[in-house]
Amino acid sequence: MKKKNSLSTDRCGYLFLAPYYIFFLIFIAFPLVTNVVLSFTNYNLKSISFAGLKNYRSLLEDDLFFISVRNTLIYVVFTVFLSILLGLLLALALNSAMLWGARFFRGIIYMPYVTSMVSISMVWLWLYNPTHGPLNALVEALGFSAKAWLYDERYALGAVIVMGIWKTMGYYMTLYLAGLNGIPGYLYEAARVDGASAVQRFFKITLPMLRPMTFFIMITGVINAFNVFEQINVMTAGGPMNATTTIMHQIYTRAFTEYRMGYAAAQAMFLLLIIVVFTMLNFRYGNQGQDLDVG
Amino acid sequence: MKVKLLPRILLLLLMLFICAIVLLPFLIMVFTSLKDNAEILSPAFTLLPKEWRFSNYAAAMATSDWGRYFANSAFVTLVSVAVSLVINSLAGYAFARLNFKGRDTLFLLALVGMMIPPQVTMLPNFVVMSAFPFAGGNNAFGQGGSGLINTYAGLIAPYIAGAFGVFLFRQFFLNFPRSLDDAAKIDGLTRFGAFTRIYVPLSKTIFATLIVFKTTSTWNDYTWPLIIAGKRSIWTVQLALSVFKDEFVTQWNYLMAATTLITLPLIVLYIFMQKYFVEGIVATGIKG
Repeated sequence: MKKKNSLSTDRCGYLFLAPYYIFFLIFIAFPLVTNVVLSFTNYNLKSISFAGLKNYRSLLEDDLFFISVRNTLIYVVFTVFLSILLGLLLALALNSAMLWGARFFRGIIYMPYVTSMVSISMVWLWLYNPTHGPLNALVEALGFSAKAWLYDERYALGAVIVMGIWKTMGYYMTLYLAGLNGIPGYLYEAARVDGASAVQRFFKITLPMLRPMTFFIMITGVINAFNVFEQINVMTAGGPMNATTTIMHQIYTRAFTEYRMGYAAAQAMFLLLIIVVFTMLNFRYGNQGQDLDVG
Repeated sequence: MKVKLLPRILLLLLMLFICAIVLLPFLIMVFTSLKDNAEILSPAFTLLPKEWRFSNYAAAMATSDWGRYFANSAFVTLVSVAVSLVINSLAGYAFARLNFKGRDTLFLLALVGMMIPPQVTMLPNFVVMSAFPFAGGNNAFGQGGSGLINTYAGLIAPYIAGAFGVFLFRQFFLNFPRSLDDAAKIDGLTRFGAFTRIYVPLSKTIFATLIVFKTTSTWNDYTWPLIIAGKRSIWTVQLALSVFKDEFVTQWNYLMAATTLITLPLIVLYIFMQKYFVEGIVATGIKG
């Protein structure tokens, strides 16, 4: 890749990198270290004292945190998998020679992803409104009884998940479309010559060739989904009865409404740990035979 | 090969149905923003307003200092985009084209930094901001004042620290032929000269892609302003909207009017720059 005996070294490279690394060190690396330190203290924005492992021990006894972990996992599993499935199906439909106006459809389905989570949450808050909302109008028109959606423990998390899927599926669709475009046409030609059916072509060519893309989507999608917070804070504030509280929502609540910075820092360490574990699992099982090409 | 007409029409109908589902919330947002509140709260739901009340928009904007919030969002977005473009392109160029000791280690570090979700560094970043030396009345040890809390600098700085742009620029510059650098050297250009005179002018696509990407993520961000901007005078539109929701919880027409106005700039950007939205995705997605 690079010549070992290269005579020229560009010392000025460090100058090119300096501005970036100054920001990196102050606002990413240093905060990360700070977070580790804080997690062993009782910091509350006014005073600080060493707490040893107390915060981590409290973590194990915190029922609310346990609920938030469970909610987050449910959210991650359903949004990521259903968005991937729908994104893939939509990409296949848009990629099909049979469809008229594929560009137009792609443009529309991607739109929710561009819109801010706060705006989207506001709109869906209205859609889900229990007394005057459009969704209940539809539900009643279909002959069912109106639901309290976000105010009912049974539906609240599901309602948030549906919105999440609606927002992200267009993004995954666009990624998969890029992946489909990267599959060389001769593979399909050869398969056709060999008499492979459409189903066989899909499972033997399309899916395996999309694997690096699926891997990429899994990594970024899972990380994003684990951090679910904005819509929770805007739409439900974790309720009803903590049915929608998530890890990030717990961190925010402990840190910025109760000022238990030390404890919240320990929760953030836990969140980082889960994300690292899931990312490693993805690398281990999702990327077999292929290296993540970062160069 | 003959393509049958019936399956084509069925597929088209299915896609039209899906598009309608995707678009419906946006349409309801706009139509609700134009309704009279009495009509919204009446039991019978209709999609279209009975009378179109465009005055709702002026009324919604008059509820608070919205001009200020829009100006704040625009300012924060503009500065974040401009500064991060400069910083990221410089770093991306160095990683792609310059040879120096420790380059690959430094790049790996940047990649690891990219993997750390900003949500995890949010809490400690707040602490770092509050204890920033010589800012907001702080002394050299970060004590005594409020640091960068409630300042534009504090609001903007973490947006600039992201590594995504570095990665994108590096990928892009790697595709340039090496002979460009040799030609530049023969012409007596320094490395920096080669970067500004040759690389930058040839990189309009990647700059446009990153502008679009960074504008979207900065304009749309809610969590960081929520934490750092307690003072109304530096609120962004997203933060203001979430507060507006709690204050005007029954004024759905005003709420939807404000939501529409906040969403509009990005929808317009998206419609005109769709190519770059998609290109950014492809650039990041394809390479993993």
